Amino acid sequence: MWQINQRGERAFAGGNEDWPGAARMAALCTAFHPDVEEEQVADEARSCYNCRYRRWTAASFVCGA
Amino acid sequence: MRILISIDDTDNLESRGTGDLASEIAREVNDKGWGESSYVTRHQLLVHPDIPYTSHNSAMCFAAEIDESCLESLIDHASAYLARESAAGSDPGLCVTVVDRLATPEALVAFGRKAKQSVVAMTEASALAAQLGIHLSAHGGSGQGIIGALAGAGLRLSGNDGRLKGHLSIATTDDTATVRDIRAHADVDDVRTLEGSPLAGDELVRLRGDKVKTVLIDGKSVLLVVPVAGTADGIAWQNCTKQQLRSY
Repeated sequence: MWQINQRGERAFAGGNEDWPGAARMAALCTAFHPDVEEEQVADEARSCYNCRYRRWTAASFVCGA
Repeated sequence: MRILISIDDTDNLESRGTGDLASEIAREVNDKGWGESSYVTRHQLLVHPDIPYTSHNSAMCFAAEIDESCLESLIDHASAYLARESAAGSDPGLCVTVVDRLATPEALVAFGRKAKQSVVAMTEASALAAQLGIHLSAHGGSGQGIIGALAGAGLRLSGNDGRLKGHLSIATTDDTATVRDIRAHADVDDVRTLEGSPLAGDELVRLRGDKVKTVLIDGKSVLLVVPVAGTADGIAWQNCTKQQLRSY
């Protein structure tokens, strides 16, 4: 579910529309921390897409946790 | 007079969000008797490797109707507030636009749209602000946040970009309200389908959970709804989910 990008960052392989995948990854993550309300985009509260430590990229996000 | 106050790049991974700072400034505009602030909107800007954003690259903006004599006090206060409250390592920018003084408002809107599509330089933002007579100031770090602050003002001015910060609390019966009752909320101007059609006042909308959020369309705060499939209780619509609102 993760790839190392050219910058050596951990990039989510599911892109920015893999809602079930992002929720599954967040369920397994001990570092998950919800972002502020206005930056949350997933309906599942616990999702990498809602995490403070995700950094959006054009195609997906990288995990900074 | 009507002004737009927009801020960007005030946070880091551990701090309060930029939206909270915008809400706080908006509250203080009211509390100090300078005028009346409206809701805060969030505007997505370009995510690109050459742009140093924290995690999402969005700007926050609100409109206010103020007395002209309060403008300088407001700018001074917001400037000091950002310098004091912005997070370590951030690059905060402040934009205060007097809407009626804009000779070419379309230039500001175009700048906002450009910042969603391409990398923009600080010099370009500063030059446009000077040309249009807009207050644009940096309050720490590299000052890179002036780009997003100016873009946020342009996108808010466009009337067709962004989501409102926060969730609305609307009284319901069995999680349902009429369009008329929803429109009675101070922060809702209209209820429309995703395709843009307005709903009649007596239509019923199921409001799911406590996540009722509106978006900015045609200069209005609009609750977007989608059809409810297969109900026999007369409820034809429900509010969009976060995922459905993501592109706004």
